[in-house]
Parts: sequence; C-alpha cells; structure tokens
Amino acid sequence: MALGDIGAAIGIAFTYFTIIYLTGLGGLFSERSGIVNIGLEGMMIVGTVTGSWGAHHFTLPPPDGLGWGLPWGPIMGLLIGMLAGATFATIHALATVTFRVDHIVSGVVINLVAVGLARFLSTIFFGQATQSDPGQPHMNPVSIPLLSSIPWGLGRAFQQLSPMVVVAMLLVFPVSFALYRTRWGLRLRSCGENPEAARSLGVRVAPLRYEGVLLSGALAGLAGAYLAVEVAYSWGEGQTQGLGFIALAALILSNWNPVRLMVASFVFGFAQAIPLRLGDAPVFRLIPDQFVRMTPYVVTIVVLAGFVGKVRPPAAAGKAYEGATT
Amino acid sequence: MATIEAPAPTVRERVRPEWLENIGGQLLALVAALVIALLLGSLIILAYGESPAAVYGAILTFSFGSRDGFGYVISIATPLIFSALAVAVCFKGGMFNIGVEGQYLVGMVAAAWAALKLDFLPGPLLMWVTIVFGMLGAVAFALVPAVLKVRTGAHEVVTTIMMNGIAISLVAWAINGPLHFTQQLAGFNINLRTDPFKANARIPDLGHRFGIPDSAHLSWLFPMALVTAAIVWFVLKRMRLGYEARAVGASAGSAQAGGISIGSVQIKLFILSGALAGLVGMQQLLADKGYLPVQYEAALGFTGIAVAFLGQNSPLGIVLAAVLWGVLARGETAVQIDTDVPREFVIILQGILIISVVVTYQLAQRRLLARQLRKAATVEGIGDSAAAVDIEGLAKEDR
Repeated sequence: MALGDIGAAIGIAFTYFTIIYLTGLGGLFSERSGIVNIGLEGMMIVGTVTGSWGAHHFTLPPPDGLGWGLPWGPIMGLLIGMLAGATFATIHALATVTFRVDHIVSGVVINLVAVGLARFLSTIFFGQATQSDPGQPHMNPVSIPLLSSIPWGLGRAFQQLSPMVVVAMLLVFPVSFALYRTRWGLRLRSCGENPEAARSLGVRVAPLRYEGVLLSGALAGLAGAYLAVEVAYSWGEGQTQGLGFIALAALILSNWNPVRLMVASFVFGFAQAIPLRLGDAPVFRLIPDQFVRMTPYVVTIVVLAGFVGKVRPPAAAGKAYEGATT
Repeated sequence: MATIEAPAPTVRERVRPEWLENIGGQLLALVAALVIALLLGSLIILAYGESPAAVYGAILTFSFGSRDGFGYVISIATPLIFSALAVAVCFKGGMFNIGVEGQYLVGMVAAAWAALKLDFLPGPLLMWVTIVFGMLGAVAFALVPAVLKVRTGAHEVVTTIMMNGIAISLVAWAINGPLHFTQQLAGFNINLRTDPFKANARIPDLGHRFGIPDSAHLSWLFPMALVTAAIVWFVLKRMRLGYEARAVGASAGSAQAGGISIGSVQIKLFILSGALAGLVGMQQLLADKGYLPVQYEAALGFTGIAVAFLGQNSPLGIVLAAVLWGVLARGETAVQIDTDVPREFVIILQGILIISVVVTYQLAQRRLLARQLRKAATVEGIGDSAAAVDIEGLAKEDR
C-alpha cells in the first residue's frame, strides 16, 4: 500500500461523504422540526431516477447567450432530483403532520413505495424498469488548488472531484447559520424540542414541520441525483445501497448537529472507500470486506446502547403534536 | 363532525358492543382505502388509454381464473404471512420490529449452513433441523436489539435498522466465504451461490396434488404458515403472553403497576417475532431454489410490514392481506401481457393502497377514541367538563 492509495481512498471517501452528508442534513432538518424521517433512503431513490432523467433530458444547450457556458444537463438533473425529492417527501409530511400517522410507519411506507415508484418512472423515462443508458453528461471534475499538489500521492484526494463535493462541504455554513442564527432556525428547533411551548409563544408548528420534511426530501433527492448524475453517470436500481440508512446512522452519531455530521459523514464515507481502495492493506486484508462495510451500523449500535458517548435526539421527535394543524 | 353539538349518546350507540365498533371501524377503513387505491389506480390506467375494468379484470382472472394462477399467488403469499406475523407480534407489545428484514436474511444463512453441513441427517429430519436453525439464527439476531432495548433503552427502531445493514453484509460474507460453492464446473460461469442442498433438506411440493405445476413452488410451507397464523392468534388472544403484550402495548406504566415485567415481555415478544422471521426465507431457500443465491429475494421483511398494516395486525387479516398482495404481485405479469399499461403500475397500486390504509386506519382510530371519550364523559355525567373539551379538540382535528 502506498500513500497514493490512501490519497485515492480519501478521494472516494469525499464522494461518499457528499451523499451521506447531504442526506444526513436532510434528516437533520426533518428531525429538528420533530418529524422522524427513516424514509431518507426512499427519498434518495426518487432523486436518483428523476435526477438521471433530468441530466438526460436537458443535454441540449439553451439558446445562444443564455447558456453562460454552464453544464446545464447535470445542473438540471440535480435540481430536478431535488424537486422530486421534496415532492415525494410531501407524502411523509401529509401523513405525519396532517394525519398524525406514526412517523416510523410512514417512513417505512415511503421506502417501500419509492422502490416501486422508481421502477414505474424508469419505464416512462427510459423505457426500461431497472436502469438508464450509461454515459450521461456530467460536470467537469475540479481539482482543489494547493491541496491537490500535496506530494507523495496524497494530493490525489483533492483531484478530479465533482463540484458538488465542494458545494456539500460549504453547505455547513448556511445550514449552521440558518439553524442557530436565524429566527426561523430557532422556531424550527423549538418545534422539535417542545411544540406545545412553541405554540404558546405563537409559533405555527405544522407549517414549520412541513418545511423541515420538504427540506429533508429536497436534500435527500439532491444526494440521490448527485449519485446518479455525478458518480454513476446513469440510473440503476439498488444504486443507493442503503446509504440513506448510513446517513441516518451518521445523523444519530452527530447528535443532530450539522458540524459533527460532517465528521461522521466523512468517517463513514471513508469506511465505504476502504474495501474499494485499501482492501490489500495489511490491516484490512485480515478482515473481510463485508465486515468493514458494516462498521457504520455497528458503531451506531454501540453508541446508541450508551457504551461509548451519549446522544440525545430532539425531545419531541417522533411524537404526534396534538395541537391545531394550522 | 355534526355529533359534537349533541353530547348525549343516542340509544343506537349504547347497544353497539365495543368489539363490533372496533371491527366495523377497521373494515370501513380498509374498504375506504381499497376504494381510494382503485380509483387513483383507475386514473393512471385511463392515462394509458386503457379501461380500468379490463386491467383489474386481467389481474383477477390471472390469479383466480386457473388453479395454476392461484398456486402461484399462494406461494408468493407464504413468506409474507410469516414476515407480517413477525411484525404484528411486536406491534401488539407496542414495539416496531423493522428488523424482520435482517432477521430473515440471517435465518437463511443459518439454515443454509445447517442444510449443507449437517447433511448426514436422515430423511425429513434434515429439513426440520434446517428450519429450526433458520429460526434460531433469526432469534439470535433479534435478541440483540431486544436486549439492548431492555438493558440500555436503545430504541428498537434505530437498532433494527442498523441490524438490517449488518445482515446484508453478513449474507454477502457467508456466500463469498464459508458457504461459497465448491462444485463449480470448469469453464462454467454461474452466479455466486451456495452448493445445492440435498433433496431431503427441501420442503416437499404440495401443488402437484392439486394439479399445480412444480414451477409454482407451492409447498407444505403454506399449510405450515396457516398453522403458524393460528398459533400466533392463540398466543396473542388466549395466552398470558398475549394479554401481557397488549397491556404493555396499551400502557407500559399501567402494565408495570399491574405487576407485569415489561422487559421480560418485550424480550419474549422479540424472540417470538424472530422465530417467525426465521421462517420467511424458507420459501425461497427450501421450497423454491434449494440453495442460497447471492441474488436472493430481498425486502420480504419490509413488505411484511405493509402486509401487517393491511391485515391490521390480526393473524386472519394478515393471511388474507398476504393473499391479496400475492394477487397483485402476480397481476404484474397479467398487466404486462394483456394491457398497454406497464407492469410497474401494480407496484404503484400497492404503494397507494398502503398509504391509504395507513391514513384511513389512523383516522378511524381517532374517531373511535373520540367516541369512547364522549361515552365516558356522558356516563360520568360530566358532559361540560374537561373530558368534553378533549373530545371537542379531537373531533375538531378530525374535520
């Protein structure tokens, strides 16, 4: 194993980080508003198929002078995946906020329905149920200045990255600001901690929870679209590989905090990269790939059981709020 | 609701026994959900320029029009009965076992191990031992979240989700490692799987007795599923565990005050649930394939959750719901052959059905609760006091 392999593994980890972090942020908004969202995986799946369609469909450049030289295909793909994720999340919001269905029940249903919906949409979009034609347009990869020229091959980690990786990393700033420095963020968090108190202070709980759930759908959809458009260059059934659940694990470990979520997402992303790139390393050769892949889940269980560290979910997350719906 | 203005109960309401009210509400919710799903489905069908009657008719004839068709439906329903029962058992105790998915995967690995490594066992003994190993494997896997819940308070929903992730890797590891096939012929490239099991490990075919072809894989497992449903019904309705489960599910605090050990009830329920989950994989393992393929049929545990909702967690309801699910799943082929609608339409129909069931059932429950509260308030003669206010609040939300 050379340092170059570690560099390459970190590069792959950045890709997984982007998927896990975007989806995890989605879960963060939803759960901070008090709605548990185990349907992240399903929302991601919807993002993959619609995002892929968007990238396919908008390959033609816009009329002269309006293109600004931007890769509109992939960008539209990402936006459409985001929109579709949010639209799909409306089902979860309607069920949990308006009809007060149990959040877990609704989330399970979301995941079940997403698989079927993706196949159905795929037959409409691509004429086949389980994949799209390979080789879609994607954005030109970028290399991060300075970092990409680190010697010993470690610089490989920062070369040929999708611009979305950078976007995902920078998202931590607006998200933290919105959550902790704005009135909206305070209100959103109060809905997740104590909706009755929030209500008594004039905060309208239901609309904020809708916003939280729709944002989570948008971010999970964006993550899915990124996976299909920027990573795989096509749609394929089963593409998400349970990354939505890994995002959920990262969210729990982060204690529902956007900055810590970055760390957790990167660590779990690296765990995904190990079997792909470092499988021959002396340490990892002894452990079967599959055991490396299950580390995020094992770590989360250990932490949840309180053996190491402590996590505290938003106090009112998962509970139906019995107040007025408007 | 118009009834709020008249808090005094009508005579009709008083004579209606509670169980009838329960079942009536559930049935109404189910019928409403079916109607909603069929109507929305019709819209999609119309969008494809087909007639809804023709499409739904094609689905039904494909399943009920011939013995073969019904044989296929029943073998699709068999594993779903087990997984829905596994979900329902935990539900009764107020717990959500999302881990049926992972538990049945691990059950399949344990069963495959037994079928391959204990193949010296004579006759049907091998089959029974294989099945028991499947159940034990799933129980062991179910015990992790159960014990963690009781000992540390870790929520079973999150832990079982994580256990599902672990299970997928475990199966992949088993098929790549310890159970890797040894009988590959030179030059042949076959899909990754375990070695085939001996014939006496497999569950005997039942379908041929009724003229149903072997390809339907209708085996003795289906009667076993029916018996299992009856046993689960008996345990939940007539045995102490069932009573304790309902008590814990309704109100853990009161159950504890009544002398029930919550933890032990929860662990017992998870063991029962795991044992049922262990049987989910047996249809594909012992009735269908006769080996464990790397491309096994997944998501049966999640589908079981849907079937449990549809059957509203009662064993009889689950059997019927599983058959309905089988009819729809089988109908995919009918839709593809007979109509211009893509076969994936059926999956969408299933999805709409499940969403509507969840919502209508929730609404029905709330109505029932409001009615009970109203009844309680009038019986105690406190029509204008706190309870009545509660009712108005609840009733208002129902609008």
